[in-house]
Amino acid sequence: MVWRVLTASGNPLGLLVERRTLEPLWRTIQLATLVAVAAAVLGTGLAWLAVRTDLPGRRFWRIVIPLPLVYPSFVGAAAFISGLTPGGIVHDIFAALGMDLSLRLHGLFGSWLVLTLFTYPYVYLPVAARLSAMPTSLEENARLLGDTPGRAFRRVVLPQASSAIAAGSLLVFLYTVSDFGAVHLMRFETLTQTIFRTRLFDQDRSFTLALLLVALALAVVTAERRVARRSAPTEGIGDRYALLVPLGRWKTAATGACALVLGLALVAPTVSLADWGLLPYLDGRAGTSLRLDWADVVGPTWSTIWISAVTAVVAVAVLLPVAYLLARHRSSVGGIANGVVVGGFAIPGLVVALSLIFWTLHASPFEFLIGSMPVLVFAYVVHFGAQALRTAQVAVTTVPQRMDDAARLLGAGRLRRVTTVDLPLMAPGLAAGAGLVMLSTMKELPATLLISPIGFRTLATEIWNTYEASFLAETAVLALVLVAISAAMTWLLVVRPGRFPA
Amino acid sequence: MVNIGAASTTRPGQVGLGVSGLTVAYDGPPVLVDVSLGVDPGEIVALLGPSGSGKTTLLRSIAGLEKPASGSVSLGERIVSDHRVFLAPERRRVGMVFQDGALFPHLDVSRNVAYGLPRAERSSDRVTEALRMVGLESMAHRMPGSLSGGQRQRVALARALAPRPGVLLLDEPFSNLDATLRLQVRAEIHQLLVGLGITTLFVTHDQEEAFVVGDRVAVLRDGQIAQVGTPDELYLRPADRWVATFVGDANLFPISSHGETCATPVGTVPLSSPPGGPSEVLLRPEDLAVTDGDDGTVELVEYYGHDAMVVVRLDDGVAVRARTAADLPFSRGDRVGVAYAGSGAIVLPV
Repeated sequence: MVWRVLTASGNPLGLLVERRTLEPLWRTIQLATLVAVAAAVLGTGLAWLAVRTDLPGRRFWRIVIPLPLVYPSFVGAAAFISGLTPGGIVHDIFAALGMDLSLRLHGLFGSWLVLTLFTYPYVYLPVAARLSAMPTSLEENARLLGDTPGRAFRRVVLPQASSAIAAGSLLVFLYTVSDFGAVHLMRFETLTQTIFRTRLFDQDRSFTLALLLVALALAVVTAERRVARRSAPTEGIGDRYALLVPLGRWKTAATGACALVLGLALVAPTVSLADWGLLPYLDGRAGTSLRLDWADVVGPTWSTIWISAVTAVVAVAVLLPVAYLLARHRSSVGGIANGVVVGGFAIPGLVVALSLIFWTLHASPFEFLIGSMPVLVFAYVVHFGAQALRTAQVAVTTVPQRMDDAARLLGAGRLRRVTTVDLPLMAPGLAAGAGLVMLSTMKELPATLLISPIGFRTLATEIWNTYEASFLAETAVLALVLVAISAAMTWLLVVRPGRFPA
Repeated sequence: MVNIGAASTTRPGQVGLGVSGLTVAYDGPPVLVDVSLGVDPGEIVALLGPSGSGKTTLLRSIAGLEKPASGSVSLGERIVSDHRVFLAPERRRVGMVFQDGALFPHLDVSRNVAYGLPRAERSSDRVTEALRMVGLESMAHRMPGSLSGGQRQRVALARALAPRPGVLLLDEPFSNLDATLRLQVRAEIHQLLVGLGITTLFVTHDQEEAFVVGDRVAVLRDGQIAQVGTPDELYLRPADRWVATFVGDANLFPISSHGETCATPVGTVPLSSPPGGPSEVLLRPEDLAVTDGDDGTVELVEYYGHDAMVVVRLDDGVAVRARTAADLPFSRGDRVGVAYAGSGAIVLPV
């Protein structure tokens, strides 16, 4: 990739320091930092409320809080914007009340709000898992040694959860940096926008910026790893009789906060989309009739499902050996492979797509691959491989070495051990990993837009195209289908097993 | 001491186990240094040592799960590991029970037990037979997760025994069980092993467990064998001070004279052999009698039911431990006398 930039651009260093380069970079860092911090606060707070306090309806909240994960951020952004425009439900409600609400969400604030609302589950899930796995004796001891609940939280719980918070915030940061759809809709020009805009006419700039984006992502990943290595949380099994912090008079406020967050992140976009999607059937408002028939919904739905399923299977098949190597044999080969795969996640999908286009265009033996399915799947695997790797690694380490030893002493050779002991024990973890990849692939936009074969339409690209063409009703229907599918996946993978492989 | 194993007949198929000059080293200093140990066919040997002494490493080397740096391991006539040969664990015909059982959580009890059997035998009576041995034939279709700790260990034993291994290795098999259950499971498994007459090497850090179950006990310290012997040999004639204190309570006093007796804080004590250099005399708590008298003050009483341990602080400042009968004519703070009641004390070189 470096090679591509060096050969393609005349004066990369000059470009790097130009104002037109620095501005989007600054905006990107600004946005990503703000979103990561907000998501960290929101995710940690909600996790604490749902896991460690006597919040009324905890069980319900625990299921619902991670659900905004099902919204691709660009769909969420579209829902917010369209809800506030004339004809949108929020605007109409205020209009009915006699108020002209000409509020338009855009720019830094809009991007920040939307991205925070749809990414905080990345922090919530690992932190909630960490908090419920943390031995309560730690917090109890802090209390017995004289700490108030608040001080115990700050002095014991937070340090214990810090690595989970950091890991979650890192994901949010990377997500924001590589986000394309939401910031585009909010007219906030970050690096991804500039790269996309200049990819055809100013390739030098586009590639240089892409490299900059990669460098930014990798720098953050490296920094996080460095910090993560220093903290080793106490392991332990969560107590059945967990000590719950009584909220007392804050109970109503806490419930209200949860309701507000979910109202904004889950209810509002869904209602807004449903409003746009369903009203034309009811009153034919604004003269729109749905330019959409069954085939237009079923086709993209089907291709979305199968391409993401193929990607998931390929990702797990490719990464299982790497995970095996990492977990069972500490070797430098494994370490390098790990770095490569994790780096892949840090690289935005847009950049992966661009570099693949470059390779297929410029390396003649691969020319026939331009715009083919394998390239698309390859791009997805590179981008989302880390998710499968993490879960596969967890799956491998959940099979204790003793199991393997026991099987050996009972006379089982390598093949028999793998098929009768390792794989069956790893299956649930691997399925979860595959599911995560599938979920991410479904929601992916820029890479799909750029390198999917001509005529290959997924739900994400169709939503994008109909929205860009202002067919809001069609957008809404497709978005609701996508959200429904990913909600089902999320429920199966994340909520039901009650754990998140962080 | 229990010594039934020696009396039981050795079943055909049981082989002896020999370890000779075994050294195991990873990156740092060696974990095992020149260890030699023999287990006769049908014998139960306990491998006793504090944590970190290398006992589990020795067990794993015999199983083939660790590769020794030098030395040899033989099972019966067959050398399974030396500088030329290294037989893979799956081909050694060694049964092993792990600390936590290591049952396959996705297979039910009968399929766990069948795992090590040749394909043709997996659905035969052998599985039921093995489960009957451990008294769990009614649990054949339970999943491991639904078993108690003791049941899990017994299934693990049935699984290890089902393929009729030549040698059985047990790695702290009772340490994950709580106290009452441990005694019960230990007694059951002990009886079973003795009844089967299977060659067994088992690892423990519990001196009592080693004495109760082992026909012989090998004491391991810092990767080296400190002493091998029957439990009574170890207790009554320990090789050195360290073994003496590791296998039981000990009162040790320096010897200043060179004769057949020596002076100690509890009076003059006859020696079983004259000291040949700077030495200490070992007085076990049973060798001391607490009497009416005025030698010291009762500082602590540990009451066990079948007997009691009394710590007496003598007037010269030395504390001694004495074992007394269950009826205690004195209590904490009383003035008592202490006297030697044995027939000749062991001399240990310093």
